Amino acid sequence: MFYRPESIDEALALKSRLGAHGTFLAGGTDLVVGIRKEKTRVEHFIDLTRIAGLDGVYRDRDRLRIGALCTHAALEREAITALADACETVGGPQIRNLGTIGGQLGTASPAGDVSVALIALDADCEIASVRGTRTIALADLFVGPGRTVLSPDEMLLSVSIAADRKSAFYKIGKRDAVAISLVMAAASVAPDGAVSIGLGCVAPVPLRARLAEAHVREHGLSDDAIERAAELAMSEASPISDHRGSAEYRRAMCATLVRRLLRGLR
Amino acid sequence: MTDASTLEPLSFSLNGRPVTVDVDPRETLFDTLRERLRQTGTKGACLEGECGSCTVLLDGEPVTSCLVMALQVAGREVVTIEGIAESSQLSALQAAFVRAGAVQCGYCTPGLIVSATALLKKNPRPSEDEVRRGLAGNLCRCTGYNKIVDAVLDASREGEELSETGTAGARA
Repeated sequence: MFYRPESIDEALALKSRLGAHGTFLAGGTDLVVGIRKEKTRVEHFIDLTRIAGLDGVYRDRDRLRIGALCTHAALEREAITALADACETVGGPQIRNLGTIGGQLGTASPAGDVSVALIALDADCEIASVRGTRTIALADLFVGPGRTVLSPDEMLLSVSIAADRKSAFYKIGKRDAVAISLVMAAASVAPDGAVSIGLGCVAPVPLRARLAEAHVREHGLSDDAIERAAELAMSEASPISDHRGSAEYRRAMCATLVRRLLRGLR
Repeated sequence: MTDASTLEPLSFSLNGRPVTVDVDPRETLFDTLRERLRQTGTKGACLEGECGSCTVLLDGEPVTSCLVMALQVAGREVVTIEGIAESSQLSALQAAFVRAGAVQCGYCTPGLIVSATALLKKNPRPSEDEVRRGLAGNLCRCTGYNKIVDAVLDASREGEELSETGTAGARA
């Protein structure tokens, strides 16, 4: 069956009834490819694209709330540098017009550019089911490649990020467009000096570099502190070698990107 | 495709005209356009959103039709390469492609024309860099892209001349 709920409540009721037999569909940029390659089997589609208002972006004091159906294209012009730059590097224009933030997070790819930027912007996400709503830190959403903590009856509604931070996102890939990243990193500095750092493609999940963050929180952004933070970020990474690059290269680039990000944020 | 009993009716606007067609809930817009509606101008190569040859406009925005499930376009507006030219007249952009020699084997051309049409509508006077970024989701294995970029820039300049002489919207 192909269900087309028109409200969040309707979608949650369907997901509650269908559980793992129902699959949410939004932009389709990962799901439809998975079906085509026979990696993903879908019994029942629950198309979310008819739900009005789920694609909105709302400012709430110093936070920005982004609806799960918001597309990458809609965020390319946002004033938050790490978010805009990460969105702009995803796929090509056609993919960015389709792919949604909810899909990006639900797919839980360790190579999710925007997931890394959002982690660096101290993101938390709002998750709902017929049982109620809960909010968790985004870094705690991811369990492994393609796996999240969402229960079969739950749906990701929105992600909320720090809106007033200086931030940056850097990515290393073979081509600017339509290329899976080799390594990427993002960071932001809060008005009180706290730093958040996200790393991508260097672990089974998009990673928050907590040791590196703690080091700069204590020691500031001097050259020595940044050097040590880059080493710590490298130690937190556990990359694999594949046809795109070796673990050794990824680890080295992880340190390079963190160093470059933190220098730029001073 | 599956037997008729599993088909569902789909109504949407195709190139400005309302259409209703029975589709399999598991098929993509790309399949519907080519196999059911015989609109074969839209090409497919990778069928996984990498090459852009299946690009169509969905509510005015370029998307890869191989990644859109058919039933998702219910009530929405789809424009394919067949809807770009008005009657038998090439659009200014299509004419510029011909002049610049931006077509070699031609397989990527419909997708590129659709993407570039959307680009020029949003940004009528793009820089070369903006053209390259706007077309980054369309692969061409023949031309090396330079003539395609030339054609889009040429069409954008022509659009400007037309609007300056007060005949905005006129087509080459």
